[in-house]
This record gives sequence, C-alpha cells and structure tokens, in this order.
Amino acid sequence: MDHSVTFTGENINATVTVPTNTLLADAALQAGIDIGQPCGGQGRCGRCAVQVTEGEVRRRSTLRLSPSDVEAGYALACQTVVESDAHIYVPPQEKIERRLTTDRVVAEVTVPADYDYDSVQTVKRLSLQLAPPSMDDQTDDWARLQTAFRLQHGMERVRCSVGLLRKMSDVLRAGDWQTTAIVETNRLSDNPTSRLIDLLPGRGDDYAPIWGVAIDIGTTTVSLWLVDLVTGKVRAQAAEYNGQIARGEDVISRIIYASKNGGGDEMRQRVLDTINNLLETACKRVKLDEGRVTPDQIVKATIAGNSTMTHLLLGIPAASIRLSPFVTAVNHPPLVTGREIGLNVHPEAVVDCLPGVASYVGADITAGALSSGLDDAEDVTLFIDIGTNGETVLGNRDWMVTCACSAGPAFEGAGVMNGMRATQGAIEEIWINTDTLEPTWRVIGGGKPKGICGSGLISLLSEAFITGVVDKGGNVKLEAPSPRVRKGAHGGEYVVAWGQETESGEDIVLTRVDIDNLLRAKAAIYAGFTVLADQVGVPLEGVSKLLVGGSFGKYINVEKAVQIGLLPDLEWSRFEFLGNTSVKGAYLALLEPRARERITAIAKRMTYIELSADNSFYEAFTSALFLPHTDLHKFPSVVEALRK
Amino acid sequence: MALSGIQIYKMLPQTNCKECGFPTCRAFAMKLAAKQVELGTCPYVSEASKKQLAESAAPPIRLVTLKAGTEVKAGNEVCLFRHEKTFYNKTGIFIRVNASDPELAKKVAAADAYKVNYVGMDFTVDGFALVGDADMAAAVKTVRGATKRPLILIGDTNALQAGLSACGGETPMLYAADASNADALADLAKGKASLAVKADSLDALADLTQKIQAKGVEDMALDLGAKNMSEWLTRSTQVRRLALKNFRALGYPVIAFPCDAKDEAVAAAQAISKYAGFIVLSEFKPELLYPLLVLRENIYTDPQKPIQVTPGIYEINQPKPESPVLVTTNFSITYFAVANEVEGSGQPAWLVVTDAEGMSVLTAWAAGKFDAERIAKAIKGFDVASKVSKKRVILPGHVAVLSGELEAELPDWEIRVGPREAVDLPAFMKQALN
Amino acid sequence: MPIEIPKDKWPGSVRAITIGATSADGGTRAKSITVGGQTALPYMHFEAPMPNKPVVAVEIKSRKPEDWSTLLMNAWGDAMTSPAAWAKKAEEVGADLIVLALTLADSPSEAVAAVKSVLAASGLPLIVWGPGQAEKDNELLVAVSEATKGERIVLGICEDKNYRTIVATAMANGHLVQARTPMDVNLSKQLNILISDMGMPKERILMDPTTGALGYGIEYGYSVMERLRLASLQGDAMTQFPMLVTPGLEAWKTKEAKVGEGVPEAWGDWNARSINWEILTAMALVESGADIVVLRHPESVKRVKDAIGELVMA
Repeated sequence: MDHSVTFTGENINATVTVPTNTLLADAALQAGIDIGQPCGGQGRCGRCAVQVTEGEVRRRSTLRLSPSDVEAGYALACQTVVESDAHIYVPPQEKIERRLTTDRVVAEVTVPADYDYDSVQTVKRLSLQLAPPSMDDQTDDWARLQTAFRLQHGMERVRCSVGLLRKMSDVLRAGDWQTTAIVETNRLSDNPTSRLIDLLPGRGDDYAPIWGVAIDIGTTTVSLWLVDLVTGKVRAQAAEYNGQIARGEDVISRIIYASKNGGGDEMRQRVLDTINNLLETACKRVKLDEGRVTPDQIVKATIAGNSTMTHLLLGIPAASIRLSPFVTAVNHPPLVTGREIGLNVHPEAVVDCLPGVASYVGADITAGALSSGLDDAEDVTLFIDIGTNGETVLGNRDWMVTCACSAGPAFEGAGVMNGMRATQGAIEEIWINTDTLEPTWRVIGGGKPKGICGSGLISLLSEAFITGVVDKGGNVKLEAPSPRVRKGAHGGEYVVAWGQETESGEDIVLTRVDIDNLLRAKAAIYAGFTVLADQVGVPLEGVSKLLVGGSFGKYINVEKAVQIGLLPDLEWSRFEFLGNTSVKGAYLALLEPRARERITAIAKRMTYIELSADNSFYEAFTSALFLPHTDLHKFPSVVEALRK
Repeated sequence: MALSGIQIYKMLPQTNCKECGFPTCRAFAMKLAAKQVELGTCPYVSEASKKQLAESAAPPIRLVTLKAGTEVKAGNEVCLFRHEKTFYNKTGIFIRVNASDPELAKKVAAADAYKVNYVGMDFTVDGFALVGDADMAAAVKTVRGATKRPLILIGDTNALQAGLSACGGETPMLYAADASNADALADLAKGKASLAVKADSLDALADLTQKIQAKGVEDMALDLGAKNMSEWLTRSTQVRRLALKNFRALGYPVIAFPCDAKDEAVAAAQAISKYAGFIVLSEFKPELLYPLLVLRENIYTDPQKPIQVTPGIYEINQPKPESPVLVTTNFSITYFAVANEVEGSGQPAWLVVTDAEGMSVLTAWAAGKFDAERIAKAIKGFDVASKVSKKRVILPGHVAVLSGELEAELPDWEIRVGPREAVDLPAFMKQALN
Repeated sequence: MPIEIPKDKWPGSVRAITIGATSADGGTRAKSITVGGQTALPYMHFEAPMPNKPVVAVEIKSRKPEDWSTLLMNAWGDAMTSPAAWAKKAEEVGADLIVLALTLADSPSEAVAAVKSVLAASGLPLIVWGPGQAEKDNELLVAVSEATKGERIVLGICEDKNYRTIVATAMANGHLVQARTPMDVNLSKQLNILISDMGMPKERILMDPTTGALGYGIEYGYSVMERLRLASLQGDAMTQFPMLVTPGLEAWKTKEAKVGEGVPEAWGDWNARSINWEILTAMALVESGADIVVLRHPESVKRVKDAIGELVMA
C-alpha cells in the first residue's frame, strides 16, 4: 500500500508517495529534503527529530525523546516508518536541540526573586546634604560628614581611610556641600559599623548602577560576572585561562613554584593580571547609555577560589597545603580592600574571599554547595564539580561530606592537543557516522572550528567509543576503515577536522595522549564520588538528584557523559546541569548577606573525607580507567547502546 | 570492619541536640566515620552503642604471647584474605632442638645469633622448640644459657612440668594437651604458660579447648592434627573461617610442624601463607630460613599501602656502561609502565627506582617524596656512577622542573628531561639519546 | 561436639580450558592438558571436587640463554643446546607442558623451525612466547601460529598495548592466548574484555596476572590472584579464566637465586637456597589459585609437582 506524506517547515513544503513502512528519513530524501543524520541513522543522536502532525507512524526507537515529546508527535526520522498518509513538520535544528532530553542546558542567570537592594545590600549609595561651614560653625569636614551620616541616615559609626580624607575637602566643596557616598555596612551585626568607600560631588542618580563583581578563580579557568548591585542583574560575563597555567597545570606545581624564590609574587601577579584583564573585558562588554564602566568603579567583589588559588592570590604561603598533614594557612580569610591585594577595582572596594573547608576543598565548593542548593536539599543530593580538582559533595540539609581528587584540566580543554575553552570556535558537540566514521560537529558561534572544548571532548570520546574508533581501553583501532584513523606520534589518532576545514589550517585530532588524559580525568571524578558514596554508606541509586557543575559552555550531554563513564548510569531526569556553580555562589554572596552567611555555615558543616587514606580510591580509579568502566554491569544503558 | 557514617548514625541518639558542636546527629556520624571527632563528644550515646562501636574493632582470634627475653605474638587476626585488611601478627618461626643433643648449647647459640637483612630490616629466628624427657629441666637451663628467645616445650606431662619450673618468670608454650592429659596440663599451664592443644578433628579440638578454658587457661594454640598438606589447609581454613564468625572454641592461633612434613619447605610456605601463628622447623638451615622469613614478611605486608617495588637499580636488556640511566619512582604500576616500555623496545638501560613511598611520579612529586634531593640520594646510594661510563640521567618529563635543582645536586652529571609518558620512552631513547 | 563447618557456595566457576590438540582433535600432541573448571577456592575439597589440578610448565628457550644462572645451566647441561633436546629433557623431569620462549635473534623461519622441532621431540602441549618486543612478537608469533594451525598452542604474550595481532592470528589458527597484565585485578579484567571483544572464544584465553618473585613483590601477585579467583567464583565472567604465572622466570631474576658469590653468609647454601626461592615463589602462588606455574629448575619441577599431588588429595 502507498501513502502520501507531506513535509512542511521553514522553506519546506513537499509531498511524496511512498510504500507503507518507508522510513521517514527516506521519504524526506525522496522529497528532496535533507534531514541531517549526524550519527548515520542509528537513532543515537536525536538530531533528525520531526513532528508528526497527522497520520500513523511506527517508532522503532524513541531514544532521546521524552514521553511528552512522543505525546506531542515527535519521532526520529531515522527510526520511524509511515503506516498511513501523514503530515510531517520538520522543525528548525535549534528547536530540536532544546527538546532533547539528554542535553542539559545550563539555566539562565536570574536575579534571586527576593533580592532587595535597599534592605539587604551591604554596599549602598547615600546622598548627603551638609550645612556649609561658617565662622560660626568651624567644625572640621570629616566631623561634619559624620554628623550628616548620623542625622540623615542614622549611621552612628562610619570609618574612613586616609586616602579618602585627602580628597574629602575638595569633593565636598566641588558639590557645594551636596555629596554622594558609597558606604559599606556590616548589616548582620547588632552594632553595625560602616566604612566609607568613596565620596563623590553632588547628588548622584539613585538608579544608576553600583558595580560589584563575582569572581571564580579556578585552577584552569578564571570566570567573573560583573553585577549591578542595585538591580542585582549580571551585566557582563568574562572568562579566561588562569595565567598561572604557564607555571603548572595543577595546584601542586603552582604551590611548589610559589614556594621557591620569588615564585609566590609571580603567581600572585599572574592571577591578578588574569583577573584585571577580565575586569577590563567585562567592563567593555557592558552597554551603558551614559558613559563607560571602568574597573575602578567596582566597589565590591566576592571571590571563590579553591584553597590554593585563594592563598596564592592573597600572597599567603601555600606550601603546607600539599604536605602531610595538609593544612591551609587560612580557611576563612578576613575582608580586605582592592588596594591591599592589588585588584584593579576601586582601591577602597570591599573584597571578600569566601571561606573553604580544607586544603583540597575550597570556597569554590562551598559556593557551589550554596548555589546548587545542596545545603538546603530535602533528599540526598550529589553535587559533582567537573573541574581540575574534581570535587564532590554528597548530602542534604542534615549533613554534607566532601572529597576532592586530581582530575586534571582535560575537561576544561587544557592539556589536550586541540583542546580549548568553551568559546567562539570551539567544537562543542560531535557525532560520528557509524558506517563511514565521518564526523559532524557543531561549533560555538558557527564558522570554522579552532579546537574542541570540554563538552566536545566528552561527546567525541563517547562517539569514538560507540562507533568503534577506539576500543574499551581507549586504543585507536588502526584497522578501522577510514582515512581519519591513522598512526600519529603517540600511537593511533582520529582526525576530527582536516586542515582545510579548520580556522588554523591544521588538522584537529584526538591523539592517544588526549584519550589517556580524558580517561584519567573521568576516572578520577567517577572514582571520587563512588568512593565517597561508598564510605558514607549511601548507594548511588539512592541519590535523588545529581547536580553537575563545570566550565562547559551552555550544556553537557548527559547521555554521552554516561557513555564514557564520567557520570553514573542513572535516569537522565535525575541530572541537572548548573554551569559554573562557583561563580554563581560568589554572585549570590555578593548580593545577599544571608547567602554569605550560609557559605560560612556550609564551610563549618562539611566533613572532608581524605580519599588517599587507603587503596579504595586507587582501586576505583583503575576500574574506571576504561570505557565506560571495567564493571560493565554498572552501565547497562551503555551495554545496550553497544549492542545496537 | 570499619562502620560507615550511615551505620554509625543508627547507633546515635538521633535527637540533633547540637551539644557535640555539630548541627545534626548525621553530621556528627560523618565526622565520626571520618575519625575527625571522638565518640565521647556525644553526651547521650548509650552504653550499648559504645560497646557495639568498640566491638566493631575487636579481633575474634585470641592474641597469644610467648614471653622470655623477647616476645612472640600470634592471633588478633581479622580476615581470611590479606587484601581484605591485612595480616597482623607474623607467624612465629621456631627451631626444634633436642634436650638429649650433646651439641644443644652450640646449636641454639648458632641459630640464636642468626641475623639476616632484607631491604633494611633485620630478621632472626623467633624461638626454640625444645623436645625433652626427664632431661628437660637441665636442657632448659642449657638453652637459657644460649638464648633469651621464647620456648615451646615439647614432652610428656612430667617433662613439661620439669621444664616449666625451670622457666622462671617467662611464658613458654607447652606442647601438647590432648584428650588424655588435658586436665593435668591445664593445671600446669594455668597462669604460667600457653598451652598447645592437639586433636584429630576440629570437633575434638573444640571440645578440648572449651574444657581447658573452663579450667582457667585462656592462651592456647591449635595443632590441627592433619596427615597431609591438603588436610592441613582445609582445617586451617575452616578454623579461620569459624573464628571469624566468632566461634570462640576455635578462636586461637594455629601451630604447625613443617619439620614433620615430607617436604619441609613447601609445608612451611603453606603454613605461613595460610594462617599459622607458630611454625616449628626441624633444624637451623639459613638456605631455608632466609626465604621463609622473606615470605613471611611479604605475606604480612599491609596491602593497603601502595604497591611498591624495592628501590634500587634495575637492569633492562643487559645494559652496558654507555647505556642510559632512567629514573622513576617505586610505585609498582609506574615501575612496570617504564620497565615494560623499555624492555619491549629492546634497548638496554639502567632504571633507577627511588624510594617514593610507593607513589607515582606526579603524586610523589606533589607530596615532596620525589625531589632533586631524593633522586640524587638514590643515584649516589645505588652507586650508579660505578656502573656507567656516561654520567647522564633521564628525568621523567612530568618533573622537568626538577632539572635545575638536580644539576646542583649532581654537578658532574648531565641531566636530561625525558618524555612525560612511558609510552614515548623508546622513541625518545632512539632519537634523543643517540 | 560436632561443629557445623561453614561451606561456601559460589554462583560462578572458572572456565575449563584445554591446551594442545591430539590427533583426534586435529593436532599432533600425545595428550592435551585441561586446567580450570573449579567451583570453589583452591583445594577446598570439602566444598567441591577440584576437576583439574594445577600443572607445571617448564620454560625452555629457542637458543641457549646467555644470562641464566650457572645453577640452571648445570642442571640442564647439554640439553640446552637445542630446543628439541631441552623439551625432551623437560618432559623426562616431569613437565606437564612446555613453554618455548623465542628470542630477538630469531627470524620467523627460525622461530617456526624451533617450534616444529619441539613439537616433534615432545608430545606435551606447548606454549610459545615472543621475545617481548611488540613488533618482533607479532612477526614471530604470526609465523608460528600459521605454521602450527590446529595444535591449540598458547601464544604469548598479549598485553594491553599489543594484543590485537596476536589475538587475531590465534583466532584464525585455532590457538589460545596468554593475556598478561601487571598485578592489578582491574587491568586483568580490562584486557580479558578487550580480547573477548575481538571475538576470541572465552575457552581460549589464559590470564597471566604477573607475579613478583619472593622478596620482590610476590604479595601483590598473591593477593591479585586470590581476588581474581574470588571474583570468578562470585560470577564475574571476565575473571573466569585459568591463571598462568611465571615464578621460575621471576625467581631466577633475583640476586638470591642467581648469584652464589659475594652475598651474605646468612643466605645459606646457594644451590638449596636458589631452589627454595623458586619453590616458595611457586607454592605461594599455587596456594592462591595458580593453574599453571612455569618453572625453570628440574628439582623445583619435581618438588612442586609432589606438593600439588598432596594438595589435590581429597
């Protein structure tokens, strides 16, 4: 029996007649419509999803479609056959990708619903009208200003630096005794004290932004958000590799370098340069109607870094962090000013380095526990930060345990031959055609690829594995029938993009060494959270939610992360991708004192578990050093995918 | 077995009173499991829970100590397979001597003086098993003139009584109580000696130990009365399994007599590997004693410690004086990765394995166990210079940063930085070193 | 008082694997050897009978070795001049299997000739090792494999970085493979998975978890073997292979066995100590689950065989 199938969509309108049981993909081809099938029609990638608006079809596989998708008529063109006359809507690609259940897109940053600048922000802009001095009133300028604070704003005790005193007289007179003060107040204390950060002539615009910045200092990547403290909105974001990388990829090499002659100063300067450049970049990205934002307008900063990064930034010796018994110099650093630590923000700006737990669990994790909401979760939750130090937190509002393991920077695109950060030009997802072993990729911002970012590497390794380019041990199968598989300087390699297709003109390849680095990184992270859960006595299946943080672009593909054995094989619905949780936590602490207090509480409540106490971590690590894992039964869905 | 946080939580009051300083009992349980706080910090924990937590650490096999000028301990074991935790008290090795031997004093003195060094540790025999009759008391005195090590006395009740009375102020073991003399020997041993117990079956053995224990003797050792290696292995395994299930009647160390076996070496090896607390050898023979002492050391090494190879200089593919000197750490996997790559390439090399406490190159470097000082110490300590004509050492690429400091430590050596991964070593050696 | 002896009942078992093909099976061996098949821990006869006892293989070389201890050279004497004579002598002293180790100096045709001469001189099943260098191993073993099609010899040594060629030729010619990994349970399993994934029948894989000699890391080999055997009995399919280990090779590498002069007096008589070193290394591994131990000294062969004979008495 023949059926008439009509395809519609953007610039698509065609009808063909096909026999019953024809694949939708074949019918589309007959109609001259190219429905992309990156995986080669295997039903793996989900990119050929179409919507059946009328008629009967039979879906052989609905992998990657949710029940509600199917309800809505979605079907994979490569896995679905027609059984009656039908109308098929071919949606634009972006729409499909948003629907795919395995792609976890990071949530947009939203201002906390209850954020109220007036009642909670510790940094305020205050207008003051001073009575001009006269021969009858020879009170000094500073006392005059203090009186105005007391009478007009009820502030009893305001402190001020010599730097400000030096310019105070001019400012007061320039504004004809009308002045605007930027003041920081410790609002949580019963007996609040305030500190003058800046003084400007005249009456300022009450609605103009007050600039703050939330900074995440990662071992590999530094990210910051430029925030308007009045509205709470993030106005610009910027990220860059940490300039300390030139002196070592991991925290240990940094500590050792810093411990030697002058190394500490250099490390401090390197990370300061990185941050200061990012401040410039972020300021330039802000589109303001009136004038330009400069870093010296930033009056408040919160910084979340791992313990080593915080020590190096503050110029505190970090040597004791790496040597037994592994103690930091400080877990709860005091408040400092921009001038004190050399940050190119306002010299009087308040700089708050958030507190950490232990040598290898720093403020990035306490901030992450806050922003992920784990510290307030009802059910047992696992938070995994996929970064250089692979920290994991397990727990809920009752208890929290945490561990760290050295995963290396591979998932941040560093230490991999053609790796890069998740920015313009990075391949962020790849599919390999099972039959031809030809790849299809998606590049951030479109255009020619420059390299591969973390999510791209996960998807590349997964695809190479599922399509048989590499075996379970990560060895490239040189006998595979494709010119893309070849012998390189370090053993077998796979060519992702030929020189003529790339930005640089050089081939983009996945080498044996890259594969080893990725395997080690994923094995360390997997071993970390499995050993942690095991020691606490909570089976992974008993974890209600798995929150994943990390410096991936806007999403991570859970299915592929499971296929390489980075994440456990649990229902996709339990995973949530949170993006950079550290900077988000710093952002929340920047806005709200209550959030800031919660971070302190988290740091006190967390129990740090040392994984190197016995062999169990090493055992778990070597068994995870395989695709997806030495114990295949832990990954039933991957076994299933391989069978296909 | 160590308890997990969740298991410990179940034994706590679960009131979240916060008096321990933690917000919840669960948080406290996690700290307890991580050994970051003492149980006593909780003011309300029940006695039952305290006991249960303490018991989770109590060993099911009685610790038996033989004492004289030195001590030999056996028992206190907690597992069937060494990888599950570790074997704690090393099998005591005793040399059998005969009271009637005219050369008794000389033989004991020779064995007593024996000392052999294995990777920095000195091993000796642990004691002597003195077989005697009416001459026992005199023999004990003779032996005591030649050694201070503990004794196992072997003989009939009269001989043992005489021998024991000559052992003033020490705790020997008496061998052996069976169904015929259990009462007499229990009376004899009570408070003064450990008692070996012998029977032809485990049933009979358990009956005996209970009977003897009822008479007030706590320290016993079991002779399994097996007629061949197969039977001995079966019984020794069954005793260990039963003891681990808290079957108290067999919760004692085992004593074995390889001296009576067809092949003493294999029987002794089996006894050491498979749970014997004491073994008795037929005579003092260094060529057997040394390998047995090493086997015992190996089997009783804590498997939770990282897998290590012995530091030293290893020869790969028969190196010559001009062959290169490679350096790595003594973590076994690291060693194998390097050695296998080089061996597989067919290129000769000297491989210097440093003592990095069983850590891989990066980990050891991170922990300060693989630095220029330690590498230089190994190169000098193993006298590498005397073996080579070209003083050139290849550092792992991961610790390239150490090259400068190493040059300072080894001024007459050329320091070269090799590849980061072992897999690249053959190519590096072929291209860069020739 | 009768004690109730706890008995372990295991869900899994070790695969029974047969080495060597007799004329009835298309080969030329006088007999074949079957190892494995256990359903309980080693020698626990009260729980389950042991269907196949551990066997002793003797290692010989295609050329007279230059670096072996003089004790071994004296023990084998003139037999070492040809692999055929050596194999014959090995059979006389009680070997159950022959291991023929090829050398880097062998060409493929010389390797094939050596293997054929051994097959002609002795009716025992055969294991052939390449010289241990990936490219050379592949070259020699492919030639040997093709020239001995159907003999069910064991080809060694497959390692994680070099297994595909050897496995492929073993599959094509009806042979078995020896899968070696460096003293790690996970690495053993991983290589077994990789080899199985190529389509190698599981009845044709022997695993070699590697051992250190006595004093040189034997405890790791010992525990890895115990753990592998436990895993196989617990039902982990990728560990259910018989285990081959090489205590002879490892023991005779040590100074304690190899060297007679300039060593501490406390080491005792050289000859007796050397043989004890090999025997103790072998026996510890036999206790922990070895199915094939490869030895070097004729006296060790006899004494280890006698000990195994005593252990398998029910």
